[in-house]
Amino acid sequence: MNTAPTRPALRGSLDALPLFIPALPFAFVFGVVVAEAGISEWLGWSSSPIIFGGAIQVTLFTLIGEGASVAAAVSAALIVGARHMLYSVTLAPRFQNQPGWFRWVGAYVLIDQVFVLSQIKRIDEPVAFRRYFLSAGFTFWTLWMVSTAMGVVLGPAIPPEWGVEFAAPVLFVSLMMAASDRRDKLAAAAMAMGVTYMLASLPNRAGILIAVIVSVVIMLLASRRTSP
Amino acid sequence: MIMLAILLTGIGSYAMRAFFIFALARYAFPPLLLRALEYVAPTVMAALVISMLTTPEGELAAGLPELLGLVCAAFAAKTTGNHILALIAGMGTFWLIGAII
Repeated sequence: MNTAPTRPALRGSLDALPLFIPALPFAFVFGVVVAEAGISEWLGWSSSPIIFGGAIQVTLFTLIGEGASVAAAVSAALIVGARHMLYSVTLAPRFQNQPGWFRWVGAYVLIDQVFVLSQIKRIDEPVAFRRYFLSAGFTFWTLWMVSTAMGVVLGPAIPPEWGVEFAAPVLFVSLMMAASDRRDKLAAAAMAMGVTYMLASLPNRAGILIAVIVSVVIMLLASRRTSP
Repeated sequence: MIMLAILLTGIGSYAMRAFFIFALARYAFPPLLLRALEYVAPTVMAALVISMLTTPEGELAAGLPELLGLVCAAFAAKTTGNHILALIAGMGTFWLIGAII
């Protein structure tokens, strides 16, 4: 931790690869959603480079398929993606000593997995951070472009009874443990789980953002009381 | 219409990712805020896990195979620090318990 890997670009790609495993079945889910919404394959696929966010893309096309208006579908999809604003705040200090072009390009590949990798690795050296971030981001990007293309062409290629979708929560539990390198972070994570469960019936997964903010504030208040 | 929806969502989601990176490019973060941001990664991951295991109506959509799978994955992640091993442990437990019960 806190030390730059000797080959940050290679490290970034290698770290991104296992994180893509659960995204592969999700790409086929995406393909089914596009087909069921009655959207042509390549119009549906164009959302991969334009939006680059699996849950946002699936929400958009699910709602369009249900006959929602453009305004309703877009706003619901953006609420699903609202947590990306937290990533933007959290990474802002790390982007301060970076060139302008990296702010533009880095923001484009700022997805859940790339964010959490950058938080787990915590590379301080600006050039190494940039190479690691871009390499992890565009490895994921390339795989998502290829697999969503396969998804829209092949459709339901994986039998649902296998339950491979469960790989997604399994991976995120693993990432949660890696990101919780202190006991107070683990406590914050447990609290966020409880609050998310209580708010699970809120529309468009709005509970995620609220749960994170509530748990962070409670952790700060608790640490203020115990430390002088 | 669909192309418009894709474009608007693309612009919106890029704006959400870029906004604070640009808005706070010269901001001197106070120590309290920096401490708060340390909790973002673990809490977002935790919230995503629960949101994946609940239905839009707020019901828990997970039984014993899922819960034991997640516990084994968490344990494997903590002891090995390897996400592939955690995936194998989690999915293995999930499939095994699912086949037994």
